[in-house]
Amino acid sequence: MQKYRRALFTGAAVMLAACSTMPFFGCADEEDAITLRVANWEEYIDLGDWGEDELIDIYNPYAQSPEEDGIIGENSLVDDFVEWFNANHDYEVTVEYSTFGTNEDLYNRLSLGDVYDLICPSDYMIEKLMYAGELQPFSQQFLDTADEENYYVNNVSPFIYDVFEDYNDGQGKTWNAYAACYMWGTTGFVYNPEFVTEEDAATFGILNNGDYFKQVTIKDNVRDAYFATLGIIYRDELLNTSDDEIRSRLLNDTGDGTIAAAEDMLKDIKENVYSFETDSGKADMVTGKVLANYQWSGDAVYILDEADGDETNPTELWYSVPDECTNLWFDGWVMLKKGIDGNEKRQEAAEAFINFLSRPDNAVRNMYYIGYTSSIADQTIFDYMDWNYGAVFDPSDEEYFDEEMTEVYEYDLSYFFGDGYSLYVDAAALGLDTQNMQSATEYLGEEYSNDIPYTVYRGGEINRGRQLFGQYPTANVIARSVVMLDFGEKLADINQMWINVRCLDLLDFDPVVVGIVAAVAGTVIIAIVLYCLRYKIFIKKYRPRKGYRMVSGN
Amino acid sequence: MKVRFNRKQLCIPYAAFLILFVILPLLVIIYYAFTNGEGQFTFDNLVAFFSSTNTIGTLIYSFALAITTTLCCLAIAYPTAYILARSGFRKKYVLLLLFIMPMWINFTLRITALKEILTAIEGNIAAYPFINSVIGMTYDFLPFMILPLYTSLLKLDKNLLEAAQDLGANKLRVFMRVTLPLSVPGIISGITMVLLPSMTNYVVLDMLYNSTYIMGSLIGSYFNGFEWHSGSMISLILLVIIFIITLVTNRFSDKDDNGGREVIL
Repeated sequence: MQKYRRALFTGAAVMLAACSTMPFFGCADEEDAITLRVANWEEYIDLGDWGEDELIDIYNPYAQSPEEDGIIGENSLVDDFVEWFNANHDYEVTVEYSTFGTNEDLYNRLSLGDVYDLICPSDYMIEKLMYAGELQPFSQQFLDTADEENYYVNNVSPFIYDVFEDYNDGQGKTWNAYAACYMWGTTGFVYNPEFVTEEDAATFGILNNGDYFKQVTIKDNVRDAYFATLGIIYRDELLNTSDDEIRSRLLNDTGDGTIAAAEDMLKDIKENVYSFETDSGKADMVTGKVLANYQWSGDAVYILDEADGDETNPTELWYSVPDECTNLWFDGWVMLKKGIDGNEKRQEAAEAFINFLSRPDNAVRNMYYIGYTSSIADQTIFDYMDWNYGAVFDPSDEEYFDEEMTEVYEYDLSYFFGDGYSLYVDAAALGLDTQNMQSATEYLGEEYSNDIPYTVYRGGEINRGRQLFGQYPTANVIARSVVMLDFGEKLADINQMWINVRCLDLLDFDPVVVGIVAAVAGTVIIAIVLYCLRYKIFIKKYRPRKGYRMVSGN
Repeated sequence: MKVRFNRKQLCIPYAAFLILFVILPLLVIIYYAFTNGEGQFTFDNLVAFFSSTNTIGTLIYSFALAITTTLCCLAIAYPTAYILARSGFRKKYVLLLLFIMPMWINFTLRITALKEILTAIEGNIAAYPFINSVIGMTYDFLPFMILPLYTSLLKLDKNLLEAAQDLGANKLRVFMRVTLPLSVPGIISGITMVLLPSMTNYVVLDMLYNSTYIMGSLIGSYFNGFEWHSGSMISLILLVIIFIITLVTNRFSDKDDNGGREVIL
C-alpha cells in the first residue's frame, strides 16, 4: 500500500504542476496567463534554425544594430512572439500552435467543435466564416494607424487594402474589419521552356491541348480546376473585355448550365492531363516527369528554386500567367468569436500576434523561409527584393552579382509598394516583349563605382518570368486578376460535379458494349449458381419404390 | 494488498476499445446514412447511390480493379507458395523472408519507389492508369496472398500425395485432385485478404496518377465536401458488400485454418 500511496502523491503533484502552467485546464486564473490557440497552414511560418550563411544582410531597423545585424531566423517566429509579447505586457501568453492541410480540413475541424482564437484560411473560407457570423472584428486599437507598433495597418500594401475594401460582410463592414492578409499571390503555369512554347503556356487551353497529352498536371482541388475550366470556356469573352466586373462575374459563374459545361470540359481535361495531383506536382515538375503544372505562385517560386538547385539535373523552369485571367488569392488571419469569447486580453494577444508577423523583418523571414509573398509593403521588404533580384553590379559583393549581366529591366512595383518603387532586374529572367518597350543605355552603377553601360528596358507588358515574377507579378497581370469567391449555396452542386468528373460514368461508354459486358457477367454468375446447385435442381431425389423403405447407411 | 482481476474484469479494456472504436462509429455511420441534413429519417441516400450511373460505374471499376489485382496476386503467389512449401531447400526460409520483407516497409514508400521503376520502364506512366494501379496493388498485397497459401500447402499431408501416386495418378492429376482442393481454404483466405482492401486502397491510385475514383476515394471526397450523409451511405453499402463476400467465402474456408497467421516470421 505504501508504494501505491507514493504513486498517488506523485501523480497529484504532477497534475498540480500541469494545472499551474496550463490555464487551458481551467485550474489557473485566466488573469495571469493566456493560451493563444493558433491554426495555420503547414509550413507557413518561419521555424528558425537558419544556417549562418543564410543571413540576409540588409538594413534592419528592428534589430539592435540595424546596420550590421541583418535578418536571420534563429528561433521559430512563434517562440519569438511569446518572448516579445511577454517582455512588453503584465500578463503572460503562451501559444498553442497547430496546422491544417486544406481549408476544408480546417472547416471540418471547426464544425466538429475544435476551438481556435486565430486562424489563417484563404479568401473564400474567410468569406464563408464571415457570412456565418463566426468572425470577431478587429478592435479599434488594432486599426489605429497612429500607434507605431500596429505593424499591420501601418505597413500593409495599399493594393491589398483596396482589394479587401471591395468586399463586405453584407452588413456594411469590409474584409479589412475582420481579416489581416498574410500572404497573397496569383495562379499560373510553371513550365519547362525547352519543351513548351510560350504561346501554349500562356493559356488555360494547355490543359486540353492534345500536343501535351499526359504531360501537364493540375491540382486535385475543385476550386482551382473549376477556375481553370471557366478560363477555357470563357476564353473569348475574357480576352475581349477589360471590365473588371464582367471578368469577375464570368469567373464566379456558378449557373447550372455553366456547371454542366464545366463537367464536360473537365472530363476532357481528365483524359488529357497527367493527373490531378494531390501533392506530387512539385516533385514531378522538378524531376521532369511533367512539362507544365498549374500552380499557386508561391509554390511556383518554390518549384523554380528547387529545379535550379537540383544537383543532378538543374533545369530552368518558368512561371507564366495565362492571358485569359488569373486567380488573385489571399490567406489572411482572422479571429474566431468562439475562441476569443469576449476576452479582451485574449483578443489583444491575438492582434499582437498578427502585428508581430507583420513587422517587416519578420515578414522577410517568412518570405525567405516559405517562398510566398507577404502582404506587407515596406522599405525593408523592398530592400530584401533588391538584395534578392537587384541586377546592378556591386564590385564589392561579387558573390551575388554578375558583371556580365548588362541587359536589365526596370521592374515597376509601384502598384504594391507605392510610387517610385522600381527595381533593376535581370532582363533574361523575364519574358520581355522588346518590340513594344522603351530601351536606353544608362550607367546605373555609379553609387557602387562601376562604369558598365547597361541596356535598360522599361514599360510594356510582362506575362511570364522567373522567381521575381512569381512573387510580384507586374501591374498588367494584376489588371486581369480575379478574386474567386465562395461558391455559397452552389457548393454541393459543384462538389457533386467534381465527383461526377472523377467517377467512371457508365453513360460515357457505348451502351452496346455495356450491355454485352453486363450480359456476359450475368450469364457467368447464373452459370456458377446453377453449377453449385446442380444436385438440388437437376437430379431427382432418390425415392424408394413402393413397398420398400430407405435404410440409412448407419 | 494484492490486486487480483477476474476474467470479466480483464475483458474491460477490450470491450471498451471495441465499443469506442468499432461499435460506436458503426452506429454513427448508420445514423448518418439514413438521415438527411435536417436529421430526418430518409432512404434518399440509398436511392441516390443506386440511381446514379457514376456511383455504379465506380463500384464496377473498383470491383474490376480488385478482381484483377486478386487474380494477379493468385497467379504469382500460388506457384511461389507451392515451390516454397514443397521444395526440400534448406534455405527456403530465406526465400520466404525475401517475399515477406517488403511488408516491413511502409507501403507508401514502396509505391514511391515503384513509381520510379515504372517510369523507367514505361516512360510516361500516366498513360496506363489501370495497369499501373493493378501492378501497384499486386506489389502491395502479394505477401498477404503468399502467406495463407504457404501455410495451407505446408500443412498438406504428404501421405495423401503418395497414396494418390500409388493409385496411379500422374503428377498433374495429383495436383488437380489432391493438392488444389486441399489448398482451397488458403486460396479463400488469401482472396479475402487481398480483394477487400484493394477495393478501397485509393492511396495507391493517387500515387500512381490514376485520377479515376474508386470506392475509397469516393467516400473521402464526400466527407471532404461536408456531405456526411452520402459518404456514410456509401461506407455502409461497402460494408454490406464486404460482409456478403466474407459470408460466402467463409463457407469454403477450413475451420482450423488460421489464414497464415501462424508463420513464425
